[in-house]
Amino acid sequence: MKRFALSALVTAMTVAGAAQAGVTDKDILNDQMSTGDVLTNGMGLRAQRYSPMDKINTKTVKDMRPVWAFSFGGEKQRGQESQPMVKDGVMYVTASYSRVFAVDTKTGDELWEYNARLPDGIMPCCDVINRGVALYDDLVIFGTLDAKLVALNNKTGKVVWKKTVEDYKAGYSITAAPIVVKGKVITGVSGGEFGIVGKVEAYDAKTGKLAWTRPTVEGHMGYIWKDGKKMENGISGGEAGKTWPGDLWKSGGAATWLGGTYDPDVDLLFFGTGNPAPWNSHLRPGDNLFSSSRLGIDPDTGKIAWHFQTTPHDGWDYDGVNELISFDYKANGKTVKAAATADRNGFMYVLNRENGDFIRGFPFVDKISWAKGLDAKTGRPIYDDANRPGNPADSKDGKKGKSVLAIPSFLGGKNWMPMAYSQDTELFYVPSNEWSMDIWNEPTAYKKGAAYLGAGFTIKALKDEYIGVLRAMDPKTGKEVWRFNNYAPLWGGVLATKGNLVFFGTPEGYLRGLNAKTGEVEYEFNTGSGIVGSPITWEENGEQFLSVVSGWGGAVPLWGGEVAKRVKHLNQGGTVWTFKLPK
Amino acid sequence: MKGRLAALLVSAAVSFSANGAEPDPLESPLWDYMRTQFIGDDAYVFDDRVKVGLPEFAEDPTQVPIMVDASALSGNIKQIITWADLNPIQHIFTYYPHPEIVPRISLRIKVQQGTAVRAAVQTKDGVWHMGGSYLDAAGGGCTAPSAANSDPYWESHLGEMKSRFFAKEEGGRYKFKVIHPMDTGLVNAIPEFYIQQVAVRNQQGESLARLELSQPVSENPVITFDVRDKNQKHSVWLRDNSGNEFGRDL
Repeated sequence: MKRFALSALVTAMTVAGAAQAGVTDKDILNDQMSTGDVLTNGMGLRAQRYSPMDKINTKTVKDMRPVWAFSFGGEKQRGQESQPMVKDGVMYVTASYSRVFAVDTKTGDELWEYNARLPDGIMPCCDVINRGVALYDDLVIFGTLDAKLVALNNKTGKVVWKKTVEDYKAGYSITAAPIVVKGKVITGVSGGEFGIVGKVEAYDAKTGKLAWTRPTVEGHMGYIWKDGKKMENGISGGEAGKTWPGDLWKSGGAATWLGGTYDPDVDLLFFGTGNPAPWNSHLRPGDNLFSSSRLGIDPDTGKIAWHFQTTPHDGWDYDGVNELISFDYKANGKTVKAAATADRNGFMYVLNRENGDFIRGFPFVDKISWAKGLDAKTGRPIYDDANRPGNPADSKDGKKGKSVLAIPSFLGGKNWMPMAYSQDTELFYVPSNEWSMDIWNEPTAYKKGAAYLGAGFTIKALKDEYIGVLRAMDPKTGKEVWRFNNYAPLWGGVLATKGNLVFFGTPEGYLRGLNAKTGEVEYEFNTGSGIVGSPITWEENGEQFLSVVSGWGGAVPLWGGEVAKRVKHLNQGGTVWTFKLPK
Repeated sequence: MKGRLAALLVSAAVSFSANGAEPDPLESPLWDYMRTQFIGDDAYVFDDRVKVGLPEFAEDPTQVPIMVDASALSGNIKQIITWADLNPIQHIFTYYPHPEIVPRISLRIKVQQGTAVRAAVQTKDGVWHMGGSYLDAAGGGCTAPSAANSDPYWESHLGEMKSRFFAKEEGGRYKFKVIHPMDTGLVNAIPEFYIQQVAVRNQQGESLARLELSQPVSENPVITFDVRDKNQKHSVWLRDNSGNEFGRDL
């Protein structure tokens, strides 16, 4: 009976929604400042996660209250890292296990849902999460845990096209939200723990036809399709073997698992890359390009315009995937086209986004043990060799190298959870964590579809009182302006608004609104399960709405070592909460 | 005889929409309701020429062979809709046969309990010709997990097809099987995942028959249909609700 009810509903929606229009490239470029919708992951392709709305502000926020909550239902509650999108009164939000829901923004009623039928053999390293959709024309596009891109009709939820990005049996998956730039949907891949080869790919958003593919490991050929013909488009890094020994580049990792951002001023995509594989760095002397890097990529051709490697020859699983956020600032009367990123390795970097040049870098965590600092000119880390895990070959039986204490832990000074940049305070709000790890290396060899680490580890908190720290960082000085400490590690995204507020969620379940200038708590609400998603805000009928997804999960409870004790009592959820001010 | 008589009566009366005149020969409690869902207020007749072949008892409620034969109305058919009154998802398939295809088709279905199984054949004049039979079943076929759920075989073989051709004196018969879990979505934590569209094409790529399937079609569907021209080569194309497409020359 459901099919008939649904088709009747769809007919009704189509009639009622005569004013609806498809999402255009122009809409996407304007998303950063448009208030009536949320069309991009990052609330604008630059991913500043800043809203120019101020109805909810430091004076009014105390009255903010939930208007509806929407459950993802069933038993698939855990691991909700999604950022919702909003268009024409409909919210499009993903849930764990590769699901998409369309929800009426006025009532919280479900309009449709799509459940990918996943094979049992999927291999997500860090929980069955998904971070969101891309919208284009009348399509809702997302990546699945079996490494496919699926485009759904925005009114019916039915599949319009579907493409296999990679082979899930080799360890590939997709968890990041794709982005749409100039009519192309652009995605990366996950799987860095399985010796995959990272890549960025562009597909025609309307048809799903592959436009170009760019491997992110030196030595692999890129391709571009012209008039349906596949053409060679240059080997990434020029040739194999420059920064990798032997054949290790063939399974070199550098997964582009967090997706990317885009800046129209310089017309470049910015994608980060994950750890080189395997974790045991003694097996791969060299810088191992383009692992643990930020890449500037031409959106038309897929060519790498520049790269900046945050952790050359990584030995601690310091992925370089964290989002690179474009922003401008004035220095000596000139506008600097900059971009900032807070890395897993504990350093925050400000780069020239036109060419990838290093402007400055500074720690954003209290302690860093693996490096003594950054080279002031190049930004290259000055390693502390005593704190690189020892070579197993140097041990008596060759089975286990010397264990070291490394800070930050491999889960990073900051992990995937996106920071926000306020255009008012000109500060970055960085969700960060203070933790360390014992890490040691072991021998390993590549085998398709098997974990490829060559390392053992255990994570520990540095302090009893807190792990999570939300920091306000000044990108011009590297100074921490204020901080908010949280007992459990932070694992959700941040939103800054013109209302002088910074919103974020905690594993304890609280949605918090802090004063953007001082860090004072202006608002808190317990959503019932841990928040590991990213809040959004938009305007409808003159009222400002705010939504966040609640649902504890992600990498911390799976990989968190001793830290798992701090979070094991947290309950699962799987709910979208939507708030507004009373009328 | 009864059907033909009714058909005659109705074809005389069809202009003033003589529907609902006859009681359901299968005496199903949901007859009126289901009929309205599938054919609305259209004119219909019970017609013995529309045959629904079923086993006496559904030994395996997840694999019940059914045969729908409307060849007596051949050449005059717009569409054939089949459903099972008492299944949780009633619709089984809708079939649009081209004149080059004999409107006779067999496949296997899942049943949840004993139920009337119907075939409604709409002729070009718009009238629905109703055929049906009662299927006796112990039940449970729709809410049991597919075998695929406990065996990852399908993951590596999804969409693989086997087909055979049987030449007959006139025309020929195709039988093909495709690997697909055909999950109904009614089993906890297993999303619906089933083949929705089937098309049979000739060498020129023209579509000869279109079949829209629903969740009650059994796991690893086996579909049999007849063509008139045994010298023509044919191919089949399938698409599931997840957007996977499969094709094969028969």
